[in-house]
Amino acid sequence: MSDKPLQLGSENLSIIRQDKKLLKDITLTLPTSKVSLILGHNGAGKTLLMRVLHGLVPPSTGRVFTPERSLQKMVFQKPVMLRRSASRHFDFLCPDCAEADKREWFSRASLVGRMNVPARLLSGGEQQKLALIGALASRPQLLFLDEPAANLDLEATAFVEEMVKWSRTQGTTIIMISHNRAQAQRLADYIVMMDRGRLMELTPADQFFSAPYSAAGKAYLDFA
Amino acid sequence: MDFFTPILLAFTLLIEFDRELYEIIGLSMQVSLTAVGVALLLGLPLGAFLASIHFPGRTALIIIFNTLLSIPPVVIGLLVYMLISRAGPLGFLDLLYSPAAMMLAQFCLILPLSTALSRQLFEALNNEYDALFSSLGLSRTRRIAALIADGRSALVTIALACFGRAVSEVGAVIIVGGNIRHFTRVMTSAIALETSRGELALALALGCVLMLLALLVNLASYWLRGYFEKEGLNV
Repeated sequence: MSDKPLQLGSENLSIIRQDKKLLKDITLTLPTSKVSLILGHNGAGKTLLMRVLHGLVPPSTGRVFTPERSLQKMVFQKPVMLRRSASRHFDFLCPDCAEADKREWFSRASLVGRMNVPARLLSGGEQQKLALIGALASRPQLLFLDEPAANLDLEATAFVEEMVKWSRTQGTTIIMISHNRAQAQRLADYIVMMDRGRLMELTPADQFFSAPYSAAGKAYLDFA
Repeated sequence: MDFFTPILLAFTLLIEFDRELYEIIGLSMQVSLTAVGVALLLGLPLGAFLASIHFPGRTALIIIFNTLLSIPPVVIGLLVYMLISRAGPLGFLDLLYSPAAMMLAQFCLILPLSTALSRQLFEALNNEYDALFSSLGLSRTRRIAALIADGRSALVTIALACFGRAVSEVGAVIIVGGNIRHFTRVMTSAIALETSRGELALALALGCVLMLLALLVNLASYWLRGYFEKEGLNV
């Protein structure tokens, strides 16, 4: 992991599609070495904000500050699996990983016995674990997790949460989306509340779950 | 002539190890496999490039390659002829009426096929993988290499289509090869010659041998695809 101080955030960031503003003038600075959890209803712009911060979608106006691409990793809600074995898929995600390290990561994910199975034949939970260890193995400074535990069973969800906590102890900055309030309370250091493309608040998690500043935050907690 | 006479004749020629027949089969395979190999070597990366990299003029290039799919082989033969004839820009290579000229003609014929078909395949793959590739910040070269590696099962079918078009082609190879006995005579030009001489049974027998060769190549590709599917890599 690089020792350069991490700059992460955006300034007057907007995304405009067909005259419609999907993200509206978002200016934020995200804390480093913490877990920032983006909350909001469907269509709030959570995934779009994450994709813009990661550099997958260029901003229409404004700018983003992120570390260089090689220091970032993203795990998608539905992981993309290549047509190759789990072991070779891992190699693709982390080309510089030593063989011993790879085995160690597979062991942590309880996937050692599945190394030679085609990645696309793994179960949904196993695929998500593979995507996560592939991302973590390269020791990113910044990790984006787009609903990594959606549709996972308890065991796989526990693994994802354990890895998130472990990564935070390693100094990784994590930006995550989740619809699970309990999970948000377990993992988040900060909450980024989004509503209809606007940033409503960026608040320490304890503060947010006890007394959110924004009306959107209060309304969200009433539903959640 | 009944239906079975040419088939019987074909097997007789094969079993008796007719020297000239095997010479023709050997040259046919050598010319077509070389042309297919080189066309795939260039066409697949080109197809992957067109599928995954956006640049000005890309759509025009795709339309040109798609249009070239329907160009008649004799026109390709004529163009290659003009290129390599003594007065042509490549005349100094002295390729006319040689197996190399036939390879060149077949290569020109199937390069658009390998490029257009692989572009379609890789475009579908690239749409599926694009988010991951972009997230990993892959270079163009790594993108193309990954697409080719992951599309290998379907590429067998593309290779087969190219081989089929190359080995069954007659117009271009006659124009640039000349159908010279013991030198540039291949299966299709031999069939055309025997037909023009009224030796229909022999022509059909040669046709049967050609079908047999196509069957063997198909079986090999079927086995290869089966291998990929067995490994679960074609899911």
